[in-house]
Amino acid sequence: MTISTKRMVAVAAAATALTVLTACSGGDDTSSTDSSTGTSTGGGGTTLTDIAVWDPYPQHDESSDWAKYLQSCAPEGTTVTRTSAATADLLNNLTSAVKEGNAPDVVLLDNPAVPDAAVSGLLASAADVGMDTAGFDANLAGPGTVDGVTYGVPIGANTLGLYYNADILEASGVDPLTITDWDSLNDALAAVTAAGHKGITFSGIAGEEGVFQALPWFWGAGAQLDDLGSDQAVEAGQLLSDWIGQGYAPKSALTDNQSASWDLFLTGEYAFAENGSWFAKAASELTDFSAVAMPLPGHVGGAAPAPTGGEFVLAPLQKKDAEAHYANASKIIDCLVGADNQVKTADALGYFAANKDLRAAQVAADPIWTPWATSIESAQGRTTDLGPDYTAASAALSTALQASLNAAGDADAVRSAFEQAAQG
Amino acid sequence: MWFVKTSSAAVLAAPTEADEVVVPPRARRRIRPTTWAALGFVAPLLVYVVVLYAYPLYENVSMSLHRFTRATYVTGEAPFTGLDVYREVIASPQFWTTVRQTTVFVVVSLVVQYVGGLALAAFFRRSFPLSSLLRALFLVPWLMPIIVSGTTWQWMMDADSGVLNRFLGLVGIDPVWWLNADHALASVTIANIWLGIPFNLVILYSGMQGIPDELYEAASLDGAGAWRQFWSITFPMLRPVSAITLLLGFVYTLKVVDIIWIMTMGTGSSQTLATWAYSMAFGKGSSAVIKYSEASVVGTILLVVALVMGFVYLAAQRRQEER
Amino acid sequence: MSTTARVHAARHGNRVRRSWWRTAIGVVLTLVMLFPVYWMVNVSLTPRTAIRAGRLFPASPTLEHYAIVLREQLPHLLTSVVVGLGTVALTLVVAAPAGYALSRLLLPGRRVLNFLLIVAQMIPAVVMALGFYSIYSRLGVLDTIPGLILADSTIAVPFGVMLFVAFMSGIPRELLQAAQIDGASHWRTFRSVVLPVSRNSAVTVALFAFLWAWSDFLFASTLNRGGGSLRPITMGIYDYIGSQNQEWGPMMATAVVACVPTAILLVVAQRYVAAGVTAGAVKD
Repeated sequence: MTISTKRMVAVAAAATALTVLTACSGGDDTSSTDSSTGTSTGGGGTTLTDIAVWDPYPQHDESSDWAKYLQSCAPEGTTVTRTSAATADLLNNLTSAVKEGNAPDVVLLDNPAVPDAAVSGLLASAADVGMDTAGFDANLAGPGTVDGVTYGVPIGANTLGLYYNADILEASGVDPLTITDWDSLNDALAAVTAAGHKGITFSGIAGEEGVFQALPWFWGAGAQLDDLGSDQAVEAGQLLSDWIGQGYAPKSALTDNQSASWDLFLTGEYAFAENGSWFAKAASELTDFSAVAMPLPGHVGGAAPAPTGGEFVLAPLQKKDAEAHYANASKIIDCLVGADNQVKTADALGYFAANKDLRAAQVAADPIWTPWATSIESAQGRTTDLGPDYTAASAALSTALQASLNAAGDADAVRSAFEQAAQG
Repeated sequence: MWFVKTSSAAVLAAPTEADEVVVPPRARRRIRPTTWAALGFVAPLLVYVVVLYAYPLYENVSMSLHRFTRATYVTGEAPFTGLDVYREVIASPQFWTTVRQTTVFVVVSLVVQYVGGLALAAFFRRSFPLSSLLRALFLVPWLMPIIVSGTTWQWMMDADSGVLNRFLGLVGIDPVWWLNADHALASVTIANIWLGIPFNLVILYSGMQGIPDELYEAASLDGAGAWRQFWSITFPMLRPVSAITLLLGFVYTLKVVDIIWIMTMGTGSSQTLATWAYSMAFGKGSSAVIKYSEASVVGTILLVVALVMGFVYLAAQRRQEER
Repeated sequence: MSTTARVHAARHGNRVRRSWWRTAIGVVLTLVMLFPVYWMVNVSLTPRTAIRAGRLFPASPTLEHYAIVLREQLPHLLTSVVVGLGTVALTLVVAAPAGYALSRLLLPGRRVLNFLLIVAQMIPAVVMALGFYSIYSRLGVLDTIPGLILADSTIAVPFGVMLFVAFMSGIPRELLQAAQIDGASHWRTFRSVVLPVSRNSAVTVALFAFLWAWSDFLFASTLNRGGGSLRPITMGIYDYIGSQNQEWGPMMATAVVACVPTAILLVVAQRYVAAGVTAGAVKD
């Protein structure tokens, strides 16, 4: 090597070593600038003037009810900075933020992600923050408690139901009141397809959303998440698989999420849609056809237990100025879900209040909620039993579901898919 | 013959070591200043590479040698596991299937994109009315946000109401379930080829513009047809540009995640090493369980594969220099 | 007319006819290539209730999506343009001199550096993004436009260097020697001889740098989360993806609105990739 080359290599090596050392040594760097929370008060000040709130509602821009309501929750002398991100990204964003000490004051996480976040040390307990955890229904507040410690409370709840196109059912001679179990539903599907319409849309996409949509059928058959190889589980998978095979459901269910499934229903070509209560308002405003909601039928009758959707409001773990952050967080959270405010928040988001009495008032005030009243009473939290183990169970169920949908009716394939999921 | 006569044939060859020897006396005094000047020119790049790439690269390899979970990622205290995670990943049932699918995806995409880009570049080489407008329009697919183009392809390939099946129906072919587990690989490959053609077209066209027209004129005077001209002039003179296009195309196709993710989330046969790593690193797709270490292992494997191709490229370049 | 003139006229006529035939084929090929873009426009004009019906022409065309986009997305478009142009500038400044050094100045260790550039491009983008997040967070440059420009340039710089090396290798030795004999320094040679002659490759690199910065989502969403209006269009478009509800009409309309000015930029830039930049510069 020439002298200059050796020198170049030495310089490069030194630079690399230096960079790596400085980068790695900053593990618990206490002098990091908190850029995303905008703390400007220096020198030991314990009041923070900028409150960061992260939510998964990018569709609500600054002019929406939700944004304005959130702004109005800012305590005297502070400003609220709201950042929205897609639900699927929020937990990861929170992870890297907590690692770097950039965590927001308040975060709204989808309820199945709460145990994972808690177990990973991302959240401060409700006791530390000073959150009031009373006044929420047990079945809806379940996901917020992990290993006996409560981390947060539901901001509101939603659940799944069965929408139907009243015009198509009438034209095909199907009476919606007769749809009380799987058999009658399948008969109705046969009738509407024979009359030249399409059957049912649902979302079977890989991941939590598809599992969310499959749980009413899964639980409705009597299956449990800790035993995926049971006969009931296979029956649930077979139901959905047959719908694809017989052409009652679109093949795109394999890749559709709930919004895409709703888009299909909106075309007016489908008789049924399994979708959520968040579309109830939009459904009532449709002009092309009449869309009505009803509870999802169980295997042999009754309403199927549907999973609870909706986010939990939580305070992330703070490394610096924790007291001040938690004080601000608890003020915001109280403004959002305190006893007087639950209905306001729920209305702004299109959710149900997570308290039985307040919800009854909501239902009484607006008739579009009437078909949903029973569904939400019997709704179940996904993580209530399994806690952090839910994530793995959901992954296994998702794989089995995808395989079932791909099988398009092939019973052997469905059975082996669920048996494999039970082992893995 | 005309393809040997002109000295411009040496135009696209890289400088050889031999050039250093044959140097006029005045310039020989410049060898050391040349090196300093070269360092000066390349310094911004060196700083850039070291600062911006070294740390992420170190992080990636380091993560693959520890066992990280979401909790230990936050605290940074993950146990050192050496090559254990590598062994687990390679022994997992998905690994070889994913490797096979990745190979098919990359090879088919690369070949079709390159041939398509080359054909189009040759087509556009001689200008005709509207040629520059049309050439620019070929880049418009790159202006569409990938979420939009991916979703559009997903809709076009819809089994029940998609446009693609409708066109197939016009010629009497039964509708295909494009996005199910079996056909997903073919579907995402088609979409990826569509995305990759503009890249090849632009670079190869640019390279072709560097070939002097005199060669072609001389050839046609000698009576060579378009096909002969292409094989004896265009293709050989494009070799260095083709090599770089293929290498970069290989590296980029190996990394492709977005288009596959939007169309199928990497389910079924469309799972490649890149989408697998992505789903494990972010807990997306079927499983929300975070597997940072496994993702880093797959990422490192991809890195090694790209390095191997890089060696192949450098060896080919050296052979060209020695010619 | 003389025989030669008639032959010339005939040959010219032949060439014109052949040119229009090429244009026709070119148009057909472009239309096939752009069909998905047509679909995007189609959906952008369709009301939500008809989007999944898959009709070839917009059923009941509506401009409501465009109204939403023009009301909300313009700041994001502007940010994307600024970030794109910034990335182009930074990429060219770093890559062009490096390409010259690696191809013509016989830098020792150039093979190693070439290799490192390939390695650099293989680092998974997510790893880069997370690495930058820690660095930026400590430097306090999260949610800034220069920070995003620096991050986006890492996509284009290795590519730029490799492309410049490939193209600059083809510059005739005589051109450079002529400049040296005239007493020009290396910098002078670079500025006055190499750069003008490398116009094609510079435009190509600039084009890709702009397009990659324009379409980047990963760096923007990791490093610019709190940017508000200063987020690029790739993030702006995600505002239409809610937690349970996605609005495809406005998304497609955003994509169309974003395409138009940049398509014009592309058409203009393509004119600079002209033939014969090196040919004719050296007399045999």
